[in-house]
Amino acid sequence: MGAPLVGLWRGVRALPSWALPLALAVVVLLLPFAGLGFSATRQIQLALILALLVSGLNLSLGYAGELALGQPAMYAAGAYTAGIMSVAGTTDVLVQLVAGGVVALVVGLVTGVPGLRLGSWSLAMTSFFLVLVLPDVIAILEPITGGRNGLSGIPGPTLLGQVLDDTGLYILLVVVAALWFAFMRNIVVSRHGVAFRVLKQSPVLASSVGISVFRMKLVGYALGAIPAGLAGVLFANLDLYIAPEAFGFTIATTVLAASILGGTASVYGALVGAAVMQFGPNQSSAFQEYALVFYGVFLVVGGVLLSGGLSGLARRAAARLDRSADIRPAPVPRGDGPSPDGELSGLAGASLEVVGLEKSFGGNRALHGVDFAATPGRVTALIGPNGSGKTTMLNMICGFYSTDAGTITLDGEAVQHLPSYRVARAGVARTFQTPNIPGGLTVEQAVAAGRYSTEHVSMVGSVVHSRRFRHVRRADATEVARALAVVGMEHLADAEAAALPLGMRRQLEVARALVARPRVLLLDEAASGLDEAEVARLALAIRRIRDAGGTVVLVEHNFRLVLELADQIVVLAQGAVIGAGPPEVIEHEPRVLAEYLGVTPEDVAGSALGAAAVVVEEPVNSDNRTGGTS
Amino acid sequence: MTEPGRAALAVRDLATGYGDLRVVRNVSFEVHPGRVTALLGRNGAGKTSTLRAVAGLNPVSAGTVQLDGADISKLATHRRIRLGIAFVQEGKRVLHRQTVEQNLLLGGFGHSRRRSALASSVDEIYELFPMLADRRGLLAGALSGGQQQMLAIGTALMTRPRVLLLDEPSGGLAPVVVAEVLDRITELKTTGLAILLVEQAVEAALRVADDVAVLESGRVALAGSAPDLDDLELLRGAYFGTTPSTGP
Amino acid sequence: MTLVWSGLALGAVYALVAIGYNLVYLSSHTFNFAQAQLMMVGTFVAYTGLVVLRLPVVVVAILAIVVVALAAAIEERVAVRPVPDHQTQLVTTLGVATVLNGLTQLIWGGQPLTVPFFGSEDLVSLLGGRVYPVELVLIGLAVLLVVVLAWLANRSMLGIALIGMAEDRDATQLLGIDVRKIAFWVFAASGALAGALGLFVGPKTYAVATLGAALALKGFVALAIGGFGSLPGALVGGLAVGLVESLAARYLGAEFSNLAVFVLLLVVLMTRPTGLFGRLRERVV
Repeated sequence: MGAPLVGLWRGVRALPSWALPLALAVVVLLLPFAGLGFSATRQIQLALILALLVSGLNLSLGYAGELALGQPAMYAAGAYTAGIMSVAGTTDVLVQLVAGGVVALVVGLVTGVPGLRLGSWSLAMTSFFLVLVLPDVIAILEPITGGRNGLSGIPGPTLLGQVLDDTGLYILLVVVAALWFAFMRNIVVSRHGVAFRVLKQSPVLASSVGISVFRMKLVGYALGAIPAGLAGVLFANLDLYIAPEAFGFTIATTVLAASILGGTASVYGALVGAAVMQFGPNQSSAFQEYALVFYGVFLVVGGVLLSGGLSGLARRAAARLDRSADIRPAPVPRGDGPSPDGELSGLAGASLEVVGLEKSFGGNRALHGVDFAATPGRVTALIGPNGSGKTTMLNMICGFYSTDAGTITLDGEAVQHLPSYRVARAGVARTFQTPNIPGGLTVEQAVAAGRYSTEHVSMVGSVVHSRRFRHVRRADATEVARALAVVGMEHLADAEAAALPLGMRRQLEVARALVARPRVLLLDEAASGLDEAEVARLALAIRRIRDAGGTVVLVEHNFRLVLELADQIVVLAQGAVIGAGPPEVIEHEPRVLAEYLGVTPEDVAGSALGAAAVVVEEPVNSDNRTGGTS
Repeated sequence: MTEPGRAALAVRDLATGYGDLRVVRNVSFEVHPGRVTALLGRNGAGKTSTLRAVAGLNPVSAGTVQLDGADISKLATHRRIRLGIAFVQEGKRVLHRQTVEQNLLLGGFGHSRRRSALASSVDEIYELFPMLADRRGLLAGALSGGQQQMLAIGTALMTRPRVLLLDEPSGGLAPVVVAEVLDRITELKTTGLAILLVEQAVEAALRVADDVAVLESGRVALAGSAPDLDDLELLRGAYFGTTPSTGP
Repeated sequence: MTLVWSGLALGAVYALVAIGYNLVYLSSHTFNFAQAQLMMVGTFVAYTGLVVLRLPVVVVAILAIVVVALAAAIEERVAVRPVPDHQTQLVTTLGVATVLNGLTQLIWGGQPLTVPFFGSEDLVSLLGGRVYPVELVLIGLAVLLVVVLAWLANRSMLGIALIGMAEDRDATQLLGIDVRKIAFWVFAASGALAGALGLFVGPKTYAVATLGAALALKGFVALAIGGFGSLPGALVGGLAVGLVESLAARYLGAEFSNLAVFVLLLVVLMTRPTGLFGRLRERVV
């Protein structure tokens, strides 16, 4: 790359991230004054309306991870709200925008609840069906909607008592779109945006940091209704005529195509995708009959080739330019960074007590009558052969499985009936056997996700950068830095989290669990797959957490590490506790050796083979099928 | 390995994993006709990943897998099976919603699509595992753990393998059933089948194994013939990591 | 009773679409959005063969089978196989559906075309209602297909393999079965079936470019009500949707027919999230 270009690129990158979109908005705003003709401005207006719709879909599909095609219904809700209000005499666009947004939000909430409660395909189905029944609903409400013939004779819009002319409406549309995208951008870069990405990566992870999966998905879907409602209001005032055909499957497919083209998990991708669709296939009427074929081809090609959409391509290109311009040298993550030296004090650990825990999976008893306790300032290790019920137990403590019998208490408070996200909020944090780290986040963001539920900031607060938002953002930064220091990763704060090597990802999970200042910390095979240096660093971090007063529960196969770290070892076999005590006792306990290693004490002593094999009467599956690794 | 002669399965410098997670770094061993090689090591040492790579379920990112001298490391799973690899996965992976007989028939899919042509092979399996014959019409999901394990082995045998990979065949079974499984393994060995056995229960494995390789952190830490390794202190060291590993 | 017959016949069409969805779903866990569009193409080929070219029925049937199977095969190679995850497959198969919608509109126009039934076209009286022979044939076909497919799934090697793939793809692969090849041929076969059925569906619904969208959705609902992966479920679900739709249209008014189906879907999903015969629980995570 040539030096002047590098310089230019550096200049561009030095601008704040909102500068380019803002400049674009200003240029678009000024276009009519630059003598742009009626048909061109109309195209821009339609493209912006489409962009609002796409942006709403991105929130539910790209961020909340739910394929929901109900956008046209909310669009219609906004449009008919505006149309009916105008006909009734309320022509002020601002009032209509508020009303249209609210009505669309209500439609989103009402239709989202049944679809989301059932999970998986249901929302895709119910939202798709919503689009199908829309014309029927409009027909049933014919007296006020004009039925299938459409609602005509809508008076022109006014703004604060002034009649709004074409240019005025154009400006209003650009401003509304710009404000929405600013809103969306602020949400996406806030902790809520990070929470969405966590949710999309893994609902299990989301609930384990205290996010209610149902609520978060509903929020994503319902928020996505707002821009659709706004778009509807603007569309009604642009055309002054609305008919059911405008809200059918064609618009649903167009929106989906634009979303995929632009990249579903992006803010401004919606603009790009909408522009491509509007000025591409939507353009000429001679094109009309080929339009469907083109949409279809777009969907196929887009789905096959453009993972991440055009915005993904742009991001990759930017990353490449960054590298050649040497802007931010990609940090080379290595296992031998500074050794953990972060100070950690006053972790208020709680006593975790498990009494008489029972669990069966379809007749197979995974746990029967398990009792154990973990106390603050101590490391309690859970060991046992494959399928002995360790991970099952962890998942029950975290609320992913219901208990058949028995109690789990935190400082005497029963938690066994709480859903997983409530358990997390009660102060139980965990890591996963397979590190569970969402893509597209920096180490700092990924760790901060652990604090999502410890301090609450409203979405609106995040958008307008309220005092509370700024306070929590500062607190997040301090706590994240402290947690990263404990695991010795502060030099990697800006690195891409998911791209780190395994050892670092495991440490990151420890930091993420730690950042919420948990009352109980559960580590699920945190050392598996680590080399010796990494294990040593992990051990150091765990000791630090213990010394700060934390309650640590360690599920681990690395016996040496367990002997070295644990203050108390609980041995599980066949779903029951067969031994518990300090390492020096457990180490020489014959039953433990027998169960764990499958050798009898005589064998260890070197005698002949031939004693009965020791086995585990429990399906191996129950441990492998737990949510923790999904 | 001490056994001379051509190996049925030869794994050389194998590396494999999931995504960027390198579970197995540098593993070499051989399995000979009529012998059992036991792959030991603690959880997470890379045993199952090695088996999956041999069967083609995990990509081989370095090294080779040779079946009777021919490199199969680039072939699709079903091709390797048809060439003579059979893999009984951990956890008795039979098809629960199909009958015992349907499970067995599926094992013969690569050889014939006609049930009649497979009848004699199915009967051979019933001879080897009479308890399956009595339950041929039952859904596999209704069998007990031990019976499912026998069915899984029987189904694998229907593919007419030269090399049989067994992942934790004793897992979750009662002692008396384990003894029976081990007996069957010994029996199969005498037919000239080469068997690669992954077992958590060391002692069970050593009862049938001729050769042993101990994996630690994705590498072979210890290898030799089974009798040489019956000094369990040594094994214990490899498991608990109290002896230095032999390195890559 | 006349109403019931016509509702059941409509339901049979939905069931036939749902059966196609199921075949593909069982073999590859893919939801083929374009299944109904494939059937729609079948009705158009039937129209062209029977009305425009005046070919013998057998020739038209073969033509429809070949054309639609080919379309399905191309779809599998272009829009399903190269796409790694099932969520994106929803989008690409929706793309294929849209392409087929567009192409049929280009080739055959937007007007409904009457496809003659090669059997009798005279109304017959049955159980106190009047019914077209083609409607009876449709109901019979749906039932027959479910019975035959269920029998094949239990008896034929391919059927056993298919059920095996649906349950545990890895384990089936480990028996030396080329699961990708089977998935491909099942995809193509579901296309062939859709093509052949076009000859029977066309006379009931007309050949019209909007047919695909309507059938796709109702077929989807039939599948959801019956449960993913269940053939009897597809039949029961389809017939239920057809009946509810017809009865609601008659007694509540045309604009309530879809709403009634929507309510039926919600009620079933609320009480049995996996559908009436559902067993395969979709993994959300």
